[in-house]
Amino acid sequence: MPRLSEIQDLISGTNLTPELDPTQINITGGYAGDMLSDVMSSAKSGQAWITIMKHLNIVAVASLVEIPAIILAKSNIPEAAVLQKANAEKICILSSPRDTFTISGILYKLLNPDY
Amino acid sequence: MQWFTADLHIHSVLSPCGGLEMSPQNLITQVKKKGIDWMALTDHNSLANCPAYATVAEREGVYFTWGVEVQTSEEIHLLIYFDSSEKGKKFGELLYNSLLPIDNNPDFFGDQVIIDENENILQMEPKALINSSIWNLNTTVETAMKYGGFCVPAHIDAEVNSIISQLGFIPDNPEFNLFSITARANTELLISRYPSLKGKSFLRASDAHYLSDVGSGTSKILVKEPSAYELAQAALKAEGRKIVV
Repeated sequence: MPRLSEIQDLISGTNLTPELDPTQINITGGYAGDMLSDVMSSAKSGQAWITIMKHLNIVAVASLVEIPAIILAKSNIPEAAVLQKANAEKICILSSPRDTFTISGILYKLLNPDY
Repeated sequence: MQWFTADLHIHSVLSPCGGLEMSPQNLITQVKKKGIDWMALTDHNSLANCPAYATVAEREGVYFTWGVEVQTSEEIHLLIYFDSSEKGKKFGELLYNSLLPIDNNPDFFGDQVIIDENENILQMEPKALINSSIWNLNTTVETAMKYGGFCVPAHIDAEVNSIISQLGFIPDNPEFNLFSITARANTELLISRYPSLKGKSFLRASDAHYLSDVGSGTSKILVKEPSAYELAQAALKAEGRKIVV
């Protein structure tokens, strides 16, 4: 099971929630999506969520689904209030310059090395 | 014709993220205190609390319109107003069955309370109302029109769940004549960014989830009577009717 820090290195990710340590977060899978209702109904606990959405509701949905990490594609950076909430909810937010497709591919390969 | 001070986007205790303080008597008392004489109840994806709030509003002398704030499959919030409570109820049943099957999690979104006019709790709504219908924008509008509903895109200047935030633009179809805006919205700025809004009518409303928000956004509406039909006519500026935000 990869640590979030391994993923962070592969996608040139910046940890926007420095109170949370990516070496201590295990990632069981991934989900990519920009529709809250879709993520609410289909993402699974333990997955990293790749999205371009950066408003406060992403933290609520991640918290509800028990997603430990949100990866913001295309260098998206949320407002400070979102990061504060994420810190409080213990949801690590990484920002990567790569797009959703590329991050998904990298994460998929990491999770399925034999594919 | 007559001027009304209207707040046509208000939530009740049924709406997730809403306060339990929004009981019928509390809400209508606050509406009156804010000088609002025409209100609409627009809970997320449900009209189940309209009967209780309509009864108290009538008793207190506040004009009341049945409404709902639908979340379409594109996650656009669309306000729909009904003059016929029977048709509103029927639309509400169809809408309920179109919602994605996700249970409400009260720890996150609060309880969703269906209440009567005496503030007895009739039921806790188990389905998550902060959620989407499987209907897209077109299907929602078509279905609403079959039941006499008048559709108004909600808080179009908001960063989330507005027709602009979800689509990136305002589509030609379905055509809307009235666009709801937040308490703080600047209509001139909106028109300059989205020129297709030129000549359209705007409806400012509070989108209140808590008592303190009620009346933070209102519109002055000149119509023959406070109804969804007259609101639609005012959006078209028919025969001198108008909406001032």
